[in-house]
Amino acid sequence: MEISFRRYTGSELVFELIDQLVGVAKSNDPELFPRKLIEKYEKIMYERPASMAALNILRYIANYYLEHGFNGLIECCLKLRSEYDSMLWKSADVASRRVNSGERILTNSNSLAIRRLLKLIRDHGKDVEVYVTESKPGKEGLLLAEYAESLGFKVYLMVDSAVRFFMKNVDKVFVGAEAIASNGAVVSKIGTSLISLIAHEARKRVFTVAPSLKFSYETIYGELMKVPEGGVELILEPGRDEELPEGFTARIPLYDVTPSEYIDAIATEHGLIAPQAIPLLLRSIYGAYPPVIPSLHELFTKLREKHGLR
Amino acid sequence: MGYPQKVLQIADDIKTMRIRGAGRIARSAAEAMKHAAVEYNGNPYLGEFKEYMVNVAKLLISTRPTAVSLPNAVIYVLRSLKGRGSFEDARKAVISYAEEFIKNSEEAVKKISEMGAKRIKEGSIVLTHCHSTAAVEVIAKAYREGRVLKVYNTETRPFLQGRITFAHLRKYGVPVVQIPDSAVRYIMDEVDYVVVGADTVTSNGAVVNKIGTSQVALAARESRVRVYVAAESYKFSPLTLIGELVKIEFRDPEEVVPHEWLERHPGVRVLNPVFDVTPPEYIDAIITEYGVLPPQAAILILVDKLGWTLDSIKYSDNILGNLEKIIE
Repeated sequence: MEISFRRYTGSELVFELIDQLVGVAKSNDPELFPRKLIEKYEKIMYERPASMAALNILRYIANYYLEHGFNGLIECCLKLRSEYDSMLWKSADVASRRVNSGERILTNSNSLAIRRLLKLIRDHGKDVEVYVTESKPGKEGLLLAEYAESLGFKVYLMVDSAVRFFMKNVDKVFVGAEAIASNGAVVSKIGTSLISLIAHEARKRVFTVAPSLKFSYETIYGELMKVPEGGVELILEPGRDEELPEGFTARIPLYDVTPSEYIDAIATEHGLIAPQAIPLLLRSIYGAYPPVIPSLHELFTKLREKHGLR
Repeated sequence: MGYPQKVLQIADDIKTMRIRGAGRIARSAAEAMKHAAVEYNGNPYLGEFKEYMVNVAKLLISTRPTAVSLPNAVIYVLRSLKGRGSFEDARKAVISYAEEFIKNSEEAVKKISEMGAKRIKEGSIVLTHCHSTAAVEVIAKAYREGRVLKVYNTETRPFLQGRITFAHLRKYGVPVVQIPDSAVRYIMDEVDYVVVGADTVTSNGAVVNKIGTSQVALAARESRVRVYVAAESYKFSPLTLIGELVKIEFRDPEEVVPHEWLERHPGVRVLNPVFDVTPPEYIDAIITEYGVLPPQAAILILVDKLGWTLDSIKYSDNILGNLEKIIE
């Protein structure tokens, strides 16, 4: 059985997806590749509809395949992989310059962008204290705390409810992103919008670390970002939840949307920009705004038709 | 002379949080005072009995050093000893004051539920945090009156009191859906009212309650959702009147992560504060048994209705050290 995409962070998902597609592309099988491509697309739309970096990668690869077939396909995939890798490092590097030695930063979850940020802060010889929320559902915060500890930082771990309690101790907030919308709103791990609101109340700066590949082009044309919810099992505590209350029901949102006014800047591979200036960034990357980019829906409809799939 | 088994049991249950929630702690402490008097087996001398009761009071108050309802309840009962002429008289007084406290406390919750329910409009969605008997009673009463459609309740890490709230509300037939604590702002869009309990109300109207309450209130304010705090009068803190800051208890990190995890990660400090402080400006009203009041009017309750607790701070800010003086 295939492993669920849900266990990856947004960026890990990008690498995993490209690696899987490269594997399939090696077959040179004109039946298999488009079928797998469509399968991955549907799986991500179902499990991770807000994971824009992965969807954008699929957009590039599907577009390339429709135009060039297998000719240079693997090279294209590998190039995307290394480009994404370097834009992630670059974004983290931009963010790391905003951190001064001795500062206390707060973060949540366990995004690769934030891990790289911590790594670069350390590499630049700065020492910080790191406050991490446990980040339920999933408790990925424990993994991030572990990583920050391994880098030798002083680490504080707390429950998600304690953010406002500790915000006064904190200098800056850094978070990762699943997607960025055209109005500068950011989709991130559930709880991020609450953290940002609390930071805003306490006049602490909030930085999102996100390469431009996380931009959701569909939102330019009014599409609402889809934020998936998970099942009750995601919040159960082993050893404590053996006897759940009768009829126990829960809603477990996995991501939330932070409005742009609570974000001071997004650290991208092109530099630090205000979330509201996202259209400007895209214009400079693509030469026009809105950028001329095929929509996912169009591309995958074309792919299905061309190969007589559904 | 030792203490009755039941008194020690209640003290231990409060300490280890088997008895939790400010209201239940207060009633249990009054119950323990009553038992101590009923089962007293020392000499029938007034002086010895008074000393014994003061020691029981100290034992109970020290179980949760930062609680407010606890010393208020104990002092309510203890001050019954003041001016008693005989041992029998004193013992009866303790028992009747303890019973009175418990009865008043239960009636207070009932009155609060009636007044609180009226503040909720028909067909509303309510959010609550942690487990508060007073808040649950408000919501359940409002539900019976057709005012509540659905309740969202937070699971309330680390202790998961949300599971208890869930069962408590289900017992009354209220439809409940639980959410993780991190989803409070996400869900606030759908919510019409926040109803929470209080551990302590300070003299300037700030509410000390389960960690996370202040960010629930902040998210509510951002969405223009009304925030009501259901709090019996004995949760108002006399010490804050003389400027004392409410101490926030930090509990064992093992409530947050397992022991093995802590051992493997000596470089990670797990911070586990139990309460936080919601400023009065984020609270629309505090609902007490004496009526619905703006939080800034908390001082009125303290001075007019809780005058007796002020005895405990008349001599110094050390409640434990003042107990003998209260009953002189």
